[in-house]
Amino acid sequence: MAAAALTSQLNALVNNMFAMGLLDDQFQQLQMLQDSTAPDFVSEVVTLFCDDGERIICELARQLEKPNVDFDRVDSYVHQLKGSSASVGAQKVKNTCIQFREFCQQRSRDGCLKTLDLVRTEFYDLRNKFQAMLQLEQQIQACYPKH
Amino acid sequence: MARKMIRVLLVEDEEINRVVARAALKAAGGGDVVDEAENGEVAVQRVRDAAAPYDLVLMDKQMPVMDGHEATRRIRGMGVTTPIVAVSSDGLPADVDAFITAGADDFTSKPLSKEKLGVILAKFRLA
Repeated sequence: MAAAALTSQLNALVNNMFAMGLLDDQFQQLQMLQDSTAPDFVSEVVTLFCDDGERIICELARQLEKPNVDFDRVDSYVHQLKGSSASVGAQKVKNTCIQFREFCQQRSRDGCLKTLDLVRTEFYDLRNKFQAMLQLEQQIQACYPKH
Repeated sequence: MARKMIRVLLVEDEEINRVVARAALKAAGGGDVVDEAENGEVAVQRVRDAAAPYDLVLMDKQMPVMDGHEATRRIRGMGVTTPIVAVSSDGLPADVDAFITAGADDFTSKPLSKEKLGVILAKFRLA
């Protein structure tokens, strides 16, 4: 059955994300909060994370290009990204944000730029996997027509 | 006897955190009425203008316009005794102390979960 194969793919993808340290327990908490009254809860939170992350990373790049970097402002954006990462269970991105904040405290533009590159790579890797996960979920749902 | 409706004010600037908190509150049995405020200033207005007192306020620390410490101080300054639980990802002792000094009753770390909220609701006899 197509649904079984798709479900198997989905489980393998999510298990791999946990095994690679991309996700932590918080993602399991989100899965447990999803029920028949909130069937799209995980998708909603993941989508918010992806949208927030994209916006924040663009803003961080813009802030760090300025000749006089406002490190408090940069720190504030990184704090936001750290918060939304923690909420969705994005462990790797969250941990990189913690490092990023240390460079903000040190007022190190080089440190911030290097960490921005790292967080960007990690974020887009995770976003791609989340998008694949959501697509598989939609395909699985399509196998069960609503009555 | 019908259980009393639990009214919660969720003060948090990030939408993703509000969505997760709302779901966790509902799962923990405390989500009867959940009002939201995106910063401390709106929170103070909501408390002042509420038709009925809130049973619990969940207060984020870092927010634009007015932060959680100041909002807590102002709410206490109005004579409001509703339990206020500070919520922050920065769980440093200095942060916790600052919130308690401002008038918060407790502190919990982000992200919120059904378990953490269950403990809070039980502590304040809202479960």
